[in-house]
Amino acid sequence: MGAYLDAALIPVGQALLSGVLVGGVYGLMSIGFSLAFGVMRIVNFAHGDLVMYGMYVGVIASTAFGVDPLYAIPLSFLLMALLGAAQYQLVFKRFVGAATLQQLLAAIGLGLVLQMIAQVVFGADARSAPSMFGGQFVLLGPLFASAAQIVAFIVAVLCTIAVEALLLGTRWGKSVRAVADDIEAAELVGLSAQTINITAFALACGLAGIAGTIMVTYYPVDPSKGLSLMPIAIIATTIGGLGSIRGSFFGGLFCGVVQQLTAMLWNSALQDVPLYVLLLVFIAYKPTGMFGFRTE
Amino acid sequence: MDRRARQFGRVALPLLVLAVVAILPALPFVNNYILAAIVRALIFISLGQAWNIVAGIGGLLSLGHGVFLGLGGYVTGLLFNLLGWPPWLGVWVGVLVSLAVALVMGGMTLRMRGIFFALATVAVSLAFDQLARHYVDLTGGDNGLALKFMGDSLWAMQSRSPAPFVYAGLVFVVVYYGITRWILASQLGLEMRAVRDDETAAAASGVAVFRTKMLGFLVSAAMTALAGGLYMQFYQAIDPESAFGLGQAIQLQLPALIGGLGTAAGPILGGALMIVLSEITNWGAAKLGFVGVDLLVYGLVLLLVVLWAPKGIVGALRRRR
Repeated sequence: MGAYLDAALIPVGQALLSGVLVGGVYGLMSIGFSLAFGVMRIVNFAHGDLVMYGMYVGVIASTAFGVDPLYAIPLSFLLMALLGAAQYQLVFKRFVGAATLQQLLAAIGLGLVLQMIAQVVFGADARSAPSMFGGQFVLLGPLFASAAQIVAFIVAVLCTIAVEALLLGTRWGKSVRAVADDIEAAELVGLSAQTINITAFALACGLAGIAGTIMVTYYPVDPSKGLSLMPIAIIATTIGGLGSIRGSFFGGLFCGVVQQLTAMLWNSALQDVPLYVLLLVFIAYKPTGMFGFRTE
Repeated sequence: MDRRARQFGRVALPLLVLAVVAILPALPFVNNYILAAIVRALIFISLGQAWNIVAGIGGLLSLGHGVFLGLGGYVTGLLFNLLGWPPWLGVWVGVLVSLAVALVMGGMTLRMRGIFFALATVAVSLAFDQLARHYVDLTGGDNGLALKFMGDSLWAMQSRSPAPFVYAGLVFVVVYYGITRWILASQLGLEMRAVRDDETAAAASGVAVFRTKMLGFLVSAAMTALAGGLYMQFYQAIDPESAFGLGQAIQLQLPALIGGLGTAAGPILGGALMIVLSEITNWGAAKLGFVGVDLLVYGLVLLLVVLWAPKGIVGALRRRR
């Protein structure tokens, strides 16, 4: 009897484990998306494209310089933060404060342009960049996990904790929250909303870069990856609560688990369909998500 | 004089363009290549006119109108291939299915802030994309669904020459223009614009916000599905990417955006301009050997229009007066 139960439970346990590991990186990707919305009310449809560029940073480090993609993480953060700051200045600055139709369209246009630049520069083929942990597996009792995914999960958790600490524990974090709550009141007490917004946006984009670089150690990249990752970020953020950092992280874990369970119980080609349905259900019945505080 | 010139612009010029396009198929030097480009433009314009209702007049960013285009096309095609129903009948089933989907989507998302509606429409089109790719037996999967070819047949709404589709497309554009004008002048249009400009103020003035948004969304979805039927008959095939892909969703927005959101003439001007632009870039890209360059152009145009010409061509013309 026990053996039968084990035989039934092991696949479920395996799906849960894989889901959580994949989901951690989804979470890291989503917290940047959530941060830009929470602070500036910017829905950055081009966020996924920054993840995609972060993946290419890993590929280039590994193929052109022979450097392990994991060592390229700080560089990826820096480059994407700079790119994010430039985007903020050129495109998003004028839209701060309201997620209007124009802002969404501008972000979509920007995303397409970024995707096409990647296609011209890197080509349309899928590329990957295994790290020093590539191809290794760790046995955990009856379950197994890829070492690269475990490392990626750990990096994602550490980054999420660091961002939470930054927002809750530092003077800068306090100013960000002040600007997010009431931009005019924040300026009245002497904060420069422009400076704070641009740094927050750069941080959000830098996180996308990190998420991309750790993801490419186990998941191949092509120029359309950015767009195809966006729905996950949107769903994780909505389920976790738009604007909430830890909510988005847990939303990411949840998405990973749902995908893996669907793949196991139903069909891996349709692993995202339950997520789309869940998104609709959350929007209809719990638009603030599990951890969202802001209502409007 | 000035007034007469303006009246010429309002009435005579559109009629003149209409007459020229209608005569084109009869002219000896106009080949099928040119006619097909005109049909593409007319379909593109009518899809843009439909999107303009919900987004331009209603202010709701639907990124999921590909769903209705796809349902109109797939349902029309499937009913013809499997049951032999002529598209004259089948397309209305497609419209009904689209209305049902729009009712569920709208019912779940339209009470929330606009951003949730936009996000939900992305999810719904991607869900349809995955389903259409997966259920290969029904939809043809990635390769898409091709109509059974019947040659020239009015009953099957098929024709080897694009000429009949020029007239069908013209009917769509003229009727959709009329619907847009009618909505703009009606109580519904007034309420939709009130909701678009300030939801709270509209509600305070007694507008039923949810009902208004829903009506606009349903009208727009039905118009898109109907044009989807025409799309299917003209191209004789439809696939998940061209129905539910994000690229298609963005294309659907360009005519109205470039021409002028929320105006009746906007999608027509924008769509005509876009087709010319896309023919030129496709020609140029083929020379240079680039692929997928039309998406780059669409992205750039989208970005530039939103940043520097948010009122489109119509807005620019009005400013000059």
